[in-house]
Amino acid sequence: MFAKLWEMTGRAVAAAVAAICLILLVAVPAPAESLKPEGVAGLSHAEALRLGERMYRQGLLPSGEPMLAIAQRDIEVEGTMFSCESCHLRSGLGAIEGKIVTLPTNATELFKPFTSAAEETIPPWEKMPRSMQWHIRRPAYTDETLALALSAGIDPAGREFNWTMPRYQLEDRDMQVLVYYLRHLSAAPSPGVTETTIHFATVIAGDVPQRDRDAMLSVLQAHVQARSTQTRLERERARVGPFFERKMVFAYRQVELSVWELKGPPATWRRQLEEYYRQTPVFALLGGIANGEWAPIHAFCEESRIPCIFPLTDYPQLADAGWYTLYFSRGLAQEGDAAARFLFGRNDVPVNAPVVQVYRDDRDGHLIATAFRDARHRMGQNPPVDVVLSADTAPGADFWRELADKHQGVVFLLWLSPRDLAGLEALATHPGRPAKLFVAAGLLGESLGVVPEKLRDLTCLTYPYRLPGERPRYLEVVKNWLKVKGIPATNLEIQTNAYFIGRFLTNALMMMESDYYRDFFLDGIDMMNDEVYSIAYYPRLSFGPGQRFASKGCYIVSLGKGENPSLEPLSDWVVH
Amino acid sequence: MKALRQIIGRALFLLVALSVPAHVALAQEPRYQRSEESYVIPDVTLTNQHRQKVRLVELLQTDKPVLVDFIYGTCTTICPILSAGYSSMQRKLAPAEEKVRLVSISIDPEYDTPEVMTEYLEKYQAKPGWLFLTGSREDINKVMRAFDAYVPNKMAHYPITFLRGPGQERWVRIYGLIGTSDLMKEYQGLLGR
Repeated sequence: MFAKLWEMTGRAVAAAVAAICLILLVAVPAPAESLKPEGVAGLSHAEALRLGERMYRQGLLPSGEPMLAIAQRDIEVEGTMFSCESCHLRSGLGAIEGKIVTLPTNATELFKPFTSAAEETIPPWEKMPRSMQWHIRRPAYTDETLALALSAGIDPAGREFNWTMPRYQLEDRDMQVLVYYLRHLSAAPSPGVTETTIHFATVIAGDVPQRDRDAMLSVLQAHVQARSTQTRLERERARVGPFFERKMVFAYRQVELSVWELKGPPATWRRQLEEYYRQTPVFALLGGIANGEWAPIHAFCEESRIPCIFPLTDYPQLADAGWYTLYFSRGLAQEGDAAARFLFGRNDVPVNAPVVQVYRDDRDGHLIATAFRDARHRMGQNPPVDVVLSADTAPGADFWRELADKHQGVVFLLWLSPRDLAGLEALATHPGRPAKLFVAAGLLGESLGVVPEKLRDLTCLTYPYRLPGERPRYLEVVKNWLKVKGIPATNLEIQTNAYFIGRFLTNALMMMESDYYRDFFLDGIDMMNDEVYSIAYYPRLSFGPGQRFASKGCYIVSLGKGENPSLEPLSDWVVH
Repeated sequence: MKALRQIIGRALFLLVALSVPAHVALAQEPRYQRSEESYVIPDVTLTNQHRQKVRLVELLQTDKPVLVDFIYGTCTTICPILSAGYSSMQRKLAPAEEKVRLVSISIDPEYDTPEVMTEYLEKYQAKPGWLFLTGSREDINKVMRAFDAYVPNKMAHYPITFLRGPGQERWVRIYGLIGTSDLMKEYQGLLGR
């Protein structure tokens, strides 16, 4: 995308000089069609692709040893430091970073001539004067010339690459495997895209309250409708306008959004997803909402290689996050992790004293407690003492006194909901009152006033959102947009996140142009600038190759007085 | 007419004569831009890959040659080359790699936690003497601004390395990706060799 943008910029300049934008239309059979999956170097097709992908993405030879290369003329580089994917990205469509341009290395781009111009124009290029036609800057690669490029940095036109491109020292057989992989990398557009339309779906899984479901759908559908309205004349403009590039026409496809409703137990969701996909293949999933874990949908997307952009879930897949699903945040786990980081090395808590975490024996309790414990372990600290409340336990004043008797003057982490904090005030005057109390915003919700005022001087709240005082001006933008669209503001958290997804999609599609490869869609998202304006509930969303949780911070805040206490940050947004 | 021919002839000669050294100069042009600058290091405390708090002013005020660059853990092109350069330099200096202090400062502090930084350095086979620092965005911005290397977004960053010799006030600012032999030459220059 960015390499494409660079290319476009260069094109625009050249077009201004030449007063025209023309291209060469060269009939090159699509590599995917011209290749039979025969394999290479004595390897089956599947095995060659697997090993080639490992070379491209992990920098490992078929033998398992690192690939070796020379960069910048004399820097010895091992493939485990960085690989082809690092610069050319997973899709192979390339990137621009700073002023370094990494050209595409996917099959469709490598095995056709390179002209630095668009593929087609309207009117057709051949009808234009010869003097105004573009020149081929690089003939199509063959397997042999590609091997030379990878090893010696010379392209088929005899041009030498910049030395940022490493020269790889590969045996013939290893080179054949890598070239075979490149022959198949992003060789055909992904499913879900037709000549006129790009199909998306959003998943509603399980028993989701009607109000929440409507809140998300109304916003997503308004975005889709807006895009279709804005682009309805693009094809007509392309037909009658001079020098209109076909690639740009393709970028203006209509967007359709299907709603995939999953019913019954989560174990059946996979089968339902597969059936929906069989009926209408989609390019990607947008948003989505589930009553329960997102894991079944995550697994479907990962195995089917379908992007899923920002599902509205409190239960993302944390372990083995994979590649295809991009979440807003790690949910409760982010809060447990932040508490552990905040406590590390502080001199206002007892050194080597135990940390006691109290939580319910349910999904939320285990999620946040596990994250805290794991973070402590990573930091080489003693594990916390776990006090797990069963469903039939109702902690009251006696429970808290007994706990303080047993663990005097230490840190308590109360990973509990508001109803479980009744009687907590008993700790205020207890001789063994804790050194610090932690509670979680993700579990208390709006009921922060439940924390007794007499304990607030020692209370820390984990708060993984934009601070309330900074939020109104961002919410106002969304409220006004909802008003214009005639959508009632029923659940602003869901609606502001869905609003962001719609805006985000517009940018992602624009940068993708007509290169409809799912991996490229995600590559483009990974290379996006940080987002701080269009999102109300998080202070910053940031992206980067392989980063799959866009909001990475969590404030630790103190509580003021009253039923709706003010929040004062005790930490930065990110606690290291 | 004769005068006109003489003028044209002299002009052509001058053009040819001047073009030769110009061409040679072009061929000898360094592959990176080098300048010497003075910077005021802000008094900020950052966190290194070992989760230790590090006062940047103290870290850079050392009797060793010191190099500074700005990178991030998931960078696609620029940082891998910069870091491979650091790695290569440590190999060249081995077993005395700790004679030089290598400092990498994250420009993606949201993501670059001590865990991420440790993993990154392991990939590049970093030896003791190479520190990767993260911190609050505010502090990181202060440091970038101090080195006249501020970028509002990490995707817009550029390859830049700073070197300073022991006891020296001025920094050598290198713009561009640099190979090991060039980097070693700059390093030797810091030592006055």
